[in-house]
Amino acid sequence: MNSQRHLRVVGDAAAPAASPTAPAEGALSRSAVIGQLLVRVGRGDESAFDELYTATAASVFGVALRVVRDRAIAEEVAQDVLVEVWRRAARYRPEAGSGRTWILTMAHRRAIDRVRSEQAHTDRLRAHGSTITGSHDEPDTVVDMAHREWEVRRVREGLALLTERQREALDLAFAKGFTHREVAASLGIPLGTAKARIRDGLIKLRDAWEEER
Amino acid sequence: MNDTIDDPHSLLGPYVVGAVDEVDRQLFENHLRGCTECREECARMSDAVATLVDAEAVAPPATLRAAVMGRAAQTAQLPPTVVGDAGSHGPRKRRRWPLVGAAAAAVIAVTGIGAVLATADDAPDASALEREVMMVSSAPDAHTMELSLGSSHLVMSERMGGVALMGLDAPAPAEGMEYQLWLVLDDGQMMAGPTFMPDADGKFMAMMHTDFKDVTEFEITEEPRGGSAVPTGEMVAAVSL
Ligand SMILES: [Zn+2]
Repeated sequence: MNSQRHLRVVGDAAAPAASPTAPAEGALSRSAVIGQLLVRVGRGDESAFDELYTATAASVFGVALRVVRDRAIAEEVAQDVLVEVWRRAARYRPEAGSGRTWILTMAHRRAIDRVRSEQAHTDRLRAHGSTITGSHDEPDTVVDMAHREWEVRRVREGLALLTERQREALDLAFAKGFTHREVAASLGIPLGTAKARIRDGLIKLRDAWEEER
Repeated sequence: MNDTIDDPHSLLGPYVVGAVDEVDRQLFENHLRGCTECREECARMSDAVATLVDAEAVAPPATLRAAVMGRAAQTAQLPPTVVGDAGSHGPRKRRRWPLVGAAAAAVIAVTGIGAVLATADDAPDASALEREVMMVSSAPDAHTMELSLGSSHLVMSERMGGVALMGLDAPAPAEGMEYQLWLVLDDGQMMAGPTFMPDADGKFMAMMHTDFKDVTEFEITEEPRGGSAVPTGEMVAAVSL
């Protein structure tokens, strides 16, 4: 199994293998920018919300598309998530985590909730194994490209640290919305093993991506 | 049976990446409130998940921005959550539900009632309650039913001899009131269960040890704080067996 087949890494596979260098200033502070915008949105600032849309909509829509695999449904999910960001912005607490994480994990969860309500459990288990050829090839016109390149390399290098089994378990959870019980059932492994693979994979990613911040 | 019973921490990874069902999600969120270690780890792992999400970025349809802005313009924003407000969520003493009457106890064997509230101010009790709730909801014969109190579930297990309630977004009861669970028997008798109070986010958890002989229905009413021996308040939710 190709190491990047499931947890998708965009960009050219032949990109330089040099260790990623964080772009200076602006791009690096994406997380900080989002946090500041979110605080302004919480005070009802509509222009801040427009900027926040620009900063996050591609990721929100992209993850929805990745999980639900239908553009129309992904658009509905993205719409719901972004309106929810507007609605709940005043309840965002910076001390509980970054605004970027707050928005993007909300998007991921909503997408999973949607795919779970759309598909019966057994359908999803049956679908596992078939190659997904989603529409991932649209040009990304929203996200700053210099930052994207750095981010893509960083993501790819992080994923390369995972074992194939960790990647497989994490992918079923992240991209298909499987619960840990479904991951265990679909891979034919004990529940504890499934949970451990997901956790260990996340720990590796966390360690790889944290030290660059 | 699974290892969830012994170690709620094992749900951390699955929780962060959304690989939990609704019941596990609620269980783990309750655990999170009492576990600093998991909260910190959760925040760090969530940053990694956010990076995975960013890697999925795709140009959204041109119609999305206008649709979002249009809906936002018609959507009222929620006020900030007030931390540590007085009033209905102020400090409370831990309460124990009084023992049920002997006659009633003869009809249904109530083996002990853990009417402990899993709110932040009851933190020392939260993990014991949580463990009991986990045991019920992870039991091989666990039976989950929806409860019309926010987004809530009632889980019963004959094998574990208990019924657990957990929920999100539950409305606050009227001032001076809290919720109370009742078991309705086939002869119409009402067995008093634990009282519980949603926190500021509408989350709650409650647990009762009991068998289910002759039980035909679960009901939830609003009762004055501390609960009642017989229902006096309005019924807010019911589940028939
Ligand atoms: Zn913990």
